[in-house]
Amino acid sequence: MNPLRAKELVIDIPGRGDGQPLNFSVEPGQMWGVLGPNGAGKTTLLHTLAGLRVPRHGAVHLGEQSLTELRRRRISQHLGLVFQERQDGFPATVLETALIGRHPWLSPWQMESGDDERLARQALEQLDVGHLSDRLVNTLSGGERQRVAIATVLTQAPDIWLLDEPSNHLDLHHQVSVLELLTDQARGGRSVFMCLHDLNLAARWCDHLLLLYPNGDVCWGPAERMLVPTALERLYGQKLITVEADGAPVFVPVRS
Amino acid sequence: MSRPLLKPLLILALASLAAMVLSVGTGSVSVAPGQVLAVLLGEGSNLEQTLVLELRLPRTLSAFATGGLLAVAGALMQVLLRNPLADPYVLGLSGGAAVGALLAMLAGLGGLIVSGSAFAGALLATLMVFGLAHGTGSWTPSRLLLTGVVVAAGWGAVITLMLAISPAQRLPGMLYWLMGDVSYARSPWPALGLLFLVCLLVLPLGRSLNVLARGPMQAAALGVAVRPLEWTIYILASLLTATAVTMAGSIGFVGLVVPHMLRLVLGNDQRLILPACALAGGTLLVLADTLARVVIAPEQLPVGVITALLGVPTFLYLLYRSR
Amino acid sequence: MPNALRTLTSTVTAALTLWPAPVLAGPVCATDDTGTEVCLAQPASRIAALSPGATELVWAAGAGDKVVAVVSFSDYPDAAKEVTSVGSHTRMDLERLMQLQPDLVIGWVTGNPPEQLEALAELGLPVFSIEPRTFEAVSHTIERLATLAGTEADGFAEAGRFRQGIAGLEREYRDAEPVPVFYQVWDEPLMTVNNEHLIGKVITLCGGVNVFGDLDRLVPRISPEAVIGANPEAILAGGMGEENRHWLTRWEAFPGIEATTQDNLYFIPPSLVQRPTPRLLEGSRLFCQKLDEARGKR
Repeated sequence: MNPLRAKELVIDIPGRGDGQPLNFSVEPGQMWGVLGPNGAGKTTLLHTLAGLRVPRHGAVHLGEQSLTELRRRRISQHLGLVFQERQDGFPATVLETALIGRHPWLSPWQMESGDDERLARQALEQLDVGHLSDRLVNTLSGGERQRVAIATVLTQAPDIWLLDEPSNHLDLHHQVSVLELLTDQARGGRSVFMCLHDLNLAARWCDHLLLLYPNGDVCWGPAERMLVPTALERLYGQKLITVEADGAPVFVPVRS
Repeated sequence: MSRPLLKPLLILALASLAAMVLSVGTGSVSVAPGQVLAVLLGEGSNLEQTLVLELRLPRTLSAFATGGLLAVAGALMQVLLRNPLADPYVLGLSGGAAVGALLAMLAGLGGLIVSGSAFAGALLATLMVFGLAHGTGSWTPSRLLLTGVVVAAGWGAVITLMLAISPAQRLPGMLYWLMGDVSYARSPWPALGLLFLVCLLVLPLGRSLNVLARGPMQAAALGVAVRPLEWTIYILASLLTATAVTMAGSIGFVGLVVPHMLRLVLGNDQRLILPACALAGGTLLVLADTLARVVIAPEQLPVGVITALLGVPTFLYLLYRSR
Repeated sequence: MPNALRTLTSTVTAALTLWPAPVLAGPVCATDDTGTEVCLAQPASRIAALSPGATELVWAAGAGDKVVAVVSFSDYPDAAKEVTSVGSHTRMDLERLMQLQPDLVIGWVTGNPPEQLEALAELGLPVFSIEPRTFEAVSHTIERLATLAGTEADGFAEAGRFRQGIAGLEREYRDAEPVPVFYQVWDEPLMTVNNEHLIGKVITLCGGVNVFGDLDRLVPRISPEAVIGANPEAILAGGMGEENRHWLTRWEAFPGIEATTQDNLYFIPPSLVQRPTPRLLEGSRLFCQKLDEARGKR
């Protein structure tokens, strides 16, 4: 399992200065959260780390190799990405959708085997959407679709998970079960790197945090060092009250 | 997974065979079914042999090849644009190919150069539509369709202009560049060969196309080399359209109707849909041309009239539903 | 008479030849208007005429009774209407044509799709393509068709009659006063002919001056303004049917045109001039007569 490294990385957001270059390494077993207000560039950062966007400066390395030197197929065997927005141009069933997660692992002439289908069905069961296998994706609710998307990456079985707002559309129970599933992945030696808009979910589940400020400032490190109320208040431009519950800090916005 | 793919293809293959038998057995001159069979087995009178082997069979095969090529081209473009309204005729590829072919013919060139020029025309049309529709943002269905329709209208005007200034002796046969017609088609074999080759080629590409149908970002995240694949599809769709157009002019809507119908029944696995399009598109055009030959015989209708009458309502229905 | 003559010829031929073949007459050859030499082992007995003009010419050549296939709008002579049609001249029903088993196909160079003529040739049918563009070509075509059909006596006589008739008009009008003429082929869009066109040649023959004679295209499209600007002394129009006054009455709105002031708006039945056939002689006589009328009003 390889770490994912940002080296002197400056993401390309049109009309914004370079800010501070990123230098971090997402190691196996780690669970990273990216926090920042709307428009700070969280999604752009995620896409850049996945090699889908060209950075303004610097590079992203998978182990020792730069992503630009690797073939997409090879990258996709290590890196899985859950998108925030999805296109459904044509109708497809839930099972078909999960099965495309096997794409990186099959040669062009290979058809999906029974094993592949078993993997996909297992993933759907784990995300609690197994009973929807034959439904068309575009008939599902937002939360169901979100879980199908996560099941697709689970079927892909990458070393490194990149997720864009995985808790979107999910009810509280499913938010927790998805984050537990990701925690299990991290414990199994994989790494997780996700954007979250919910500060408290990040505080509760992530061991590393990266704070992305709208002006390009950025800081990262172990979660306990990042969860400084003044820093978070500056991040969101919002006064916060900190309380403690179950041994972890909880941040509550101050009513104006 | 391979078994469920085979069954629909087998059924479609039988349907195409049935359509071809019907087409070869139907004409303004009646030849009894038994006699048609006899001719195919190498017997029958001279006249029957001429009618069946020299007139009907090549025309039927040409219609089949043309329909198959257009349906596959349509299905490919729909994946490329993630839009079920894409069609080589609607988006002006057919028009571009026709302009290319006509230019070569006006320059007095023939044979392969006409085909090559048609290919260049189709390619240019594709690039124009994609380039213009893409612009700064992403493709929206209405923007793409508007661009395609306007570009197609432009090609139509260029064709009319070229017909107006071309020497009189080329004129009567040339109108079919505007409204497709297989009655001028000659040898069907190159087109059939291309159709078969493309079906073989898209089998290994099929799964990548399935992934591409979910958007370029998602496809790239799943390991598809998006740009090269998109270029392959551009070029294939243009080549298929150009071949169909040099054979039978601009036949509309086959690339729209056939993939749409098949997706309703068979789902959207390109490894199934593309060969199924080849078979079903061929079948549809064979039937449409049979109709065109006999409906007001001895007057012959251009088959493009029939496909347009089928295609326009389908297109409008899709457009209505897509809102 | 033609049949008797042919029987006589064939008897003589049969007597002269050493081969006891049941051939009516020897091979006949003629070169068509694409430069292709068409040879038949024996004169044609089943002819397919793929344009209304070709049908008339075959009849003129004396071989009307041999015509087995025509195309739409083959309405002259009346007997042609009884012959099986194989569809329009731009999109023929080749199947029905083959069923009629013609042994000679008369194609139209600028009217039939070349792809279909080629297909017929590939099926082994002799295709003789015609495109008469001059008075002499009309006669010559009749003669060639008569040769291919073995009806030389009738055909050459008719060709001669036409040739002499035209020559007569030519002599008569050689020194006639020139009349600026606008000939209207079609109304909407407004179309005329240039001097290359056979109708243009009729205008010249009758001592007229085609006001649009120098245009490049054979059948140019023009605007009404151009007609007013050219100020013809006579306007002659064809029409869709045999009578179509409205094509001419539109010019009455423009008193600035000489033809309108002089009331020189004439109708010429289009079937008499718009096909390159012997009826053109009759049409030309009518044409010349109208121009004479116009001269008389000066």
